This record gives sequence, structure tokens and C-alpha cells, in this order.
Amino acid sequence: MQEAPVSFKLRADRALADPTLKIAIDRTTGTAERKRAVAMTQFPQFEAARERGKRIKNHVIANLDHYLLEFERNAIASGAKVHWASTAEEASQIVVALCKQANAKRVTRVKSMLGEEIGLPHALDEAGIERVETDLAEHIVQLGGDRPSHIVWPSMHRTREQVSEMFKRAHRVPHQEETIEAMVASARRELRDKFLSADVSISGANFLIADTGATCTVTNEGNAELTTTPPRVHIVTAGIEKLVPSTEHAFLMLRLLVRSATGADVTQYTTFHCGPKQAGDRDGPEEFHIVLVDNGRTRMLADPALKEMLRCLRCGACMNHCVVFRQLGGHVYGGTYPGPMGAVLTPVFDGLEQSRDLAHACTMNGKCQEVCPVAIPIPTLLRGWRDRSWREGLEPAAARFGLGIHTFVASRPRLYRLGTAIAIKVMRLFSRGGLVRGMPGLGAWTKYREFPAPAKRSFMAMYKDSEGKR
Amino acid sequence: MSARETILNAVRAGLDSRKVDAEAARREADALLQDLDAIRPKLPAGALVDAFIARVTSPKVAATAERIKDITELPAAVRRYLDAHDLPPHVALQPAAVLEDLDWVALETRDGVKPDDVVGIGIARWGIAETGSLVFHSGPETPILANFLPLHHIVMVRERSILAFLDDYAVAVAGQRPPRNVNLITGASGTTDIEGSLVLGAHGPAHLHVVIVENDIHGDIDADKSTPGASS
Repeated sequence: MQEAPVSFKLRADRALADPTLKIAIDRTTGTAERKRAVAMTQFPQFEAARERGKRIKNHVIANLDHYLLEFERNAIASGAKVHWASTAEEASQIVVALCKQANAKRVTRVKSMLGEEIGLPHALDEAGIERVETDLAEHIVQLGGDRPSHIVWPSMHRTREQVSEMFKRAHRVPHQEETIEAMVASARRELRDKFLSADVSISGANFLIADTGATCTVTNEGNAELTTTPPRVHIVTAGIEKLVPSTEHAFLMLRLLVRSATGADVTQYTTFHCGPKQAGDRDGPEEFHIVLVDNGRTRMLADPALKEMLRCLRCGACMNHCVVFRQLGGHVYGGTYPGPMGAVLTPVFDGLEQSRDLAHACTMNGKCQEVCPVAIPIPTLLRGWRDRSWREGLEPAAARFGLGIHTFVASRPRLYRLGTAIAIKVMRLFSRGGLVRGMPGLGAWTKYREFPAPAKRSFMAMYKDSEGKR
Repeated sequence: MSARETILNAVRAGLDSRKVDAEAARREADALLQDLDAIRPKLPAGALVDAFIARVTSPKVAATAERIKDITELPAAVRRYLDAHDLPPHVALQPAAVLEDLDWVALETRDGVKPDDVVGIGIARWGIAETGSLVFHSGPETPILANFLPLHHIVMVRERSILAFLDDYAVAVAGQRPPRNVNLITGASGTTDIEGSLVLGAHGPAHLHVVIVENDIHGDIDADKSTPGASS
């Protein structure tokens, strides 16, 4: 999905100027970071498990055609219908066609990032099908008419006060008390009969199990099972990289995924879906469809600079620990996936020209790679995009010009030293209490930032002095 | 060319058109499951059932648990739970013969769970000590909605079907035809979607009570359903 054509810088400016957004982001990412840290101290095997998880995903990727075919064979044997989609449009068209075929008036949806990636909410709305988001956060996003800002907590950009107001406007029997408990109860009341009266349910998958043909989802609210059980048709959309060889492999990956996402050891609900209702079953859908989606994944596979990203489990740890994300929130990134992982993925989906700023919105502090449960070298991949953007001439003329000057000066030592000597003097002139908070020509930079005043003399000058003293 | 062919061809091109040897892939996948103790958490020393109960009642799972000697004591245990929570004496039973055959004395029971039921009683096939999870397989005696509709979920599990690790469950069912749904349930439903603060009872049950039965139970849930053959 594309944002309105507002530049990344403008979006970032707006986010930084929004005082409630920062509070909302801090409340959720701060908790997530603390809980993950505790989970890690209780799981000293994490490093070894992460190495194994990385190898499992690499093994699947190296044998992807084999596992796709094995999964398809077993899914069909279980009674599922398997569909393939090369692009986002193809995928959402398949889902909409299945809904129309089922004469669906009301469709319930379980949160799925792939669903967002292929533009499913929009496609269903366009087709005039009533779409009910059942995940609490997605329900908030739907009421607010905006987009998810985090892959685990899609409505983290909303404060409780904002949520309260939305629920009071939209719910039939809204909460009376101003507590989060009362708001959750209000959503429970509002959504329950919609679960039971939908014609089609749509969900995603955290894993596709090759040797059983099952899909696996992890959730906490219980909305997923309430959503996918009553309707006559259940549709799963999943990226082709979600495969694992067996249920046992899935459990190894689950230990990594959940701890990294929320700091819990396991989610409240881990559910495996395998085919439609079986003989004798008391409930469940008559039809079970799985849509396998490529949408750029095979391009990533063929590209050594992006292949490692196919390991991504979509846990969100990289964004929770990213200093840039924690200042800006998710919407600024403009794509389906925000934060560091989004900065790698969005250029794949939307093109580098549209999204080249994302790779620059990174301090290269390496925190994302450090917390990634499958050790994806995200900074290296981002550097790859920066490199490509430069080579393809996508960097703006001002940046090229500035870097040109820098190259000219930096390769002439005497000129460079003269330049730094002047810069030091000027910067110290504008420093207060050891910090530069504003300086002519640097207004845009110092608006939301400050930097330490430089030392009195440059390193080279001091080095020369100490050499002389020897 | 169909999307299927396009995708598979693109995958093969991305993998330098190397032909996958299915047998070699299987060996490699198996090797990745070796030495599990190095990559999973340790269980506390002692009996499995104690580890399971400790886990279920820990803040991480935040459920309650009790042990009974024999399944015939279940109605009394349920009664105690209802009294302690000031709940009316109506319960919905998962339609499993082992539950229906019990003498529920003064309790009003109903077969099957309705959307607004307050208390539902179920039976899990396995418990998992590592995570405090309960495992359900959908089937004639196990409707999936019964696990999600009631506000209070009371679940019975046999002591002998408590497994140590998640992996042990995967091993226990390997090679069998999977049910439509497998639910691993760990605690009551919850959400942290509003400002990251945890609220229980999001869409599913708000309370989970686990009853562990020491003696063996005669009769199994959906006993004859599993047939080998789905795995390849």
C-alpha cells in the first residue's frame, strides 16, 4: 500500500512534532524491550537456539522448491485448496474472488502482515464486502481509518484516551469506566456476534508445515480461532518463505519468535490449521483455501544482497530496539513493514526510488541485528540499498554535490585540516554547556537534535603535538 | 504460464537451478533437530507433574491448578471453583463421553457451548510442562469453539499425558493424520494492544483453571480418529 506522496522527511517532521505519538511509542516499545530482556536472562540457550533457527531457515530457503511442493501435496491431501500468486494484486484478486464465490456479505479478518502487504483491506472494501477486523489493535486501526504502525502492536500510535473516544463513538454498548479493562470488554461485546455471523474468514500464517500441509498461527486474544471456526470458508494467505520442514522445526522457531516479539515464552494460543472440517467434526469451515504469495520473494532469493532477509520471522524486535523507530513510529516508513525490517523490505515492494530514504534513516548502531532471532545482518542489507541507490543515481543532486566537495577536501590533507580548524572555532562559538543546539545553516538538523561541542583542537593537531614532545 | 509455474521456476532460478535431492534434504532437516537440550530451556528437577503445575500457576501463565485423584472427583472440584468465584451452578460440557458420563449431581450441565456461556468444562489430550500449555485436537468430541466462548474455562488433563517439552508433542503425533485444528492453549486470552498493558479476557476466556487427574481414565476422547499416512 502506498502512502500519499508526502516525502519521508516531511512525514518524519510531522511525527517528531507530535507530542502524544512519542508517549504512545515509548509506552509500548519500552515494555517490549524490558520484557524481552527478562526473557533472555531466563533462556540462556538463546544464542545456540538462534544459530539453529538461522540454519533451519537457511535450509528451507536452499530447498524452497522442494518444500513448496511437499507442502502443496500434503495440504491438498488434507482437503485444502492451494492457490499461487506472483504479485500482491494477484493475491488480493484471488481472495476477493473466493469471497464473491462464497457470496460473502461479511468477512472477518485475523491480523496478518501479509494481508496488509497485498492490500487486502483495501481490495475487500473496494469489492463492497463488509470487513470486520477482529484483532483488537486492527479494530482500533479500522475505527481510526488509518494504517498499522507496528507489526505486533498495529495501534501503538494511539493513546488510551484516543481509543476510548473511538470506542464510545462506534460501539453499540460502549464502556462507562475509563479503564483499559473496560475498553477491552467493550470491544469483546461489540465483536462477538460478528465472529459468529461471518461468511468467510481470512487469516495469515506464522509457519507453513511442509510434512503435514498445516498452517500455524500464534495469537494471544483468542480472536483468531473465534474468527476462523464458524464461517463456511476459511482463507489463509502466506508468503512462500514461511515454510518449515515439520511441526518439530516449527516449535524450535516458535521459541525464538515469541520471546523476541513480546518477551513471553509462548503465546496464549498456538493453532495448527489442517484442511477443512473433517467427518464427525462439530465445527470448522467447509472450505479451506491457502494462497501462497511470492510478491518479490523470489527476487530476494536471487539477490545475494537480500536473500538473508527471507529468514525474517516478523517478530518486530528490530523496531522495538531501533533508536530511529522509537523517535518516529511506524507510519513514517510509508510501507507495510516499518522499522529496520521495513527499511530492507519496502524498496523490494515499492521500488528503491520511492523509498531510498529509509536506508538512510539508520544510525548503523547494529542493535537490530543483535536482537534478531535469526541473526539477519540488517545494517549490512541497508548499506546494500544505500550503495545501490548511489550507483543508480537516485541520491539527490545536493547530496551528490556535498559528497563531491567532501571527497575533494578530504583527499587534500592541508585543506582538510584548515577546514576542520575553522569548523571547530565556529561550532564552539555556538555551543552552550558543551552542546550545540542550534547554528546558522544547521537549523533543520538541530531542530530535534543536539550534538556535543567539538574538542578545542582536532585529533590530528593533538597527535602532532604529542609526537613533537617525544 | 500459471503463477505456480512462474513462482517455482523463479525459485529454481534463484537457487541456480540446482536439483534438490529429497533424501538429502530430509537428512539435513533431521540433523537440525539433534541435541535439543542445547537449544531449549531446562525444566526444574523433580516430577513432570510438579513442573507442569508450577508453570501453569506461574505469573507467566497466570492460571490456577489443582490435582484430584480420580475423575469421579471432577464434579466436586468444579463445584468448589464455582463457589469460590460466586458463579451460578450452570456449566457447559465439552461433548466428550468421559465428561458426560460423570455424575454431576446438583450441577446443571449442558452439552455444547453457547456464545454467552459463563463456565465451560473441557478435557485436554496433553499438557506440556515446558510452557504450561494444554493441547486439544478438534474432533467429534472436541468442538474448537468450546475452548474460546466461555468466560471461565475449566480443563481436565490426565497426569500420564503430561509431556516435558513442545517437541515431545510433535514426536507423539508424528506420522498421524493431523486433526483440522490443533490448539495449544497457554493461560487465559489476553491482549496488550492498548498501550502495551496486559488485560485478560480479550476475546476468549478470562480465567483458566486446570485440573490434573492422577488415576488413569477409562475411555479416550475421539480415540479412533488418528490414522497414519498424512506425512510424506
